[in-house]
Amino acid sequence: MAKIKALVVDDSKIMRSAVKRALNQLMIAEFEYVEAKDGEDALGKYNEEIQIMFVDWNMPNMTGVEFSQAVRAEGNESIPIIMVTAEKSMGKVDKALNEGGANEYITKPFTADKMHKAISDYFDDDGNIATEGEDEEEDKSFFQGILNS
Amino acid sequence: MSIKTIDRIENLDEIPVEIAEKVQESVINTFGSIIGEELSYIDEANGDGALNGIIGNVTVFNSEHTLSLMLAIPKETAVYFSEVFIGMPLPFESDDMGDLIGEISNILAGDVAANVEKVGFRGQSSLPTATRGSDLTLFMPNKPPTKKMKFASANSEFWLTMVLSESK
Repeated sequence: MAKIKALVVDDSKIMRSAVKRALNQLMIAEFEYVEAKDGEDALGKYNEEIQIMFVDWNMPNMTGVEFSQAVRAEGNESIPIIMVTAEKSMGKVDKALNEGGANEYITKPFTADKMHKAISDYFDDDGNIATEGEDEEEDKSFFQGILNS
Repeated sequence: MSIKTIDRIENLDEIPVEIAEKVQESVINTFGSIIGEELSYIDEANGDGALNGIIGNVTVFNSEHTLSLMLAIPKETAVYFSEVFIGMPLPFESDDMGDLIGEISNILAGDVAANVEKVGFRGQSSLPTATRGSDLTLFMPNKPPTKKMKFASANSEFWLTMVLSESK
């Protein structure tokens, strides 16, 4: 099983634990966690080794949307950002996905099953992060295989 | 009465019924999801006695009005919530318990904000706080419109006080 470095950003230690517990239950990868208590803290801990991020919205100092915008502004368009938040209105969902550059949106409270549905597309069968490029290559070889058969 | 028609909060005798119903619906849905038990609204059971437990505070607000939500959770129910939420009982006196009740209040406020928007109250939720203690009694200065509700499930009971006031 692949090792994945995940950044979990939430001002609640309990919620960071809940996110980690749900991810561990999925058994899709072996996660190593970096935790941050708000967006500002997360910016200080974010580096190129981080492969996926789980980000709360409503936090002191810097919100999850502001943090996500900062990450995207640095030019990192490929890292999956999963917004995990209590905000439920459609306007907020739209803002997180469009303005914040988040890839997925999970509302609290969540279950491991809900988490799985949101993130499974971002992992390949070996537990590695499936980037768009890799998907395209797989698609190409899949179709090439059909053409050759 | 719709919230859109409210000019001055002090002219109201009570919280508009549409808002009270949406908040009640949010409490039942949110806590039903968290604890996995059917939750009931207990009518006319306001529980005016002092609380030995923890209070979670959060608001849904806009530039004109603030809807304050205060969850009054007895000690036994708070410990039960920790068991179902994180899979083990937290010591009632721990910092983590305050964190948990703050987070539960935050989750409730998110649902309330989305729900009351349907009846015209568009607002955002504040960061939550939690207060632990014994012999706690809630008093509201200036007597703004207030509604206190009791909820119970097979293994829990708690109260929610909501207050509608002008944003300062």
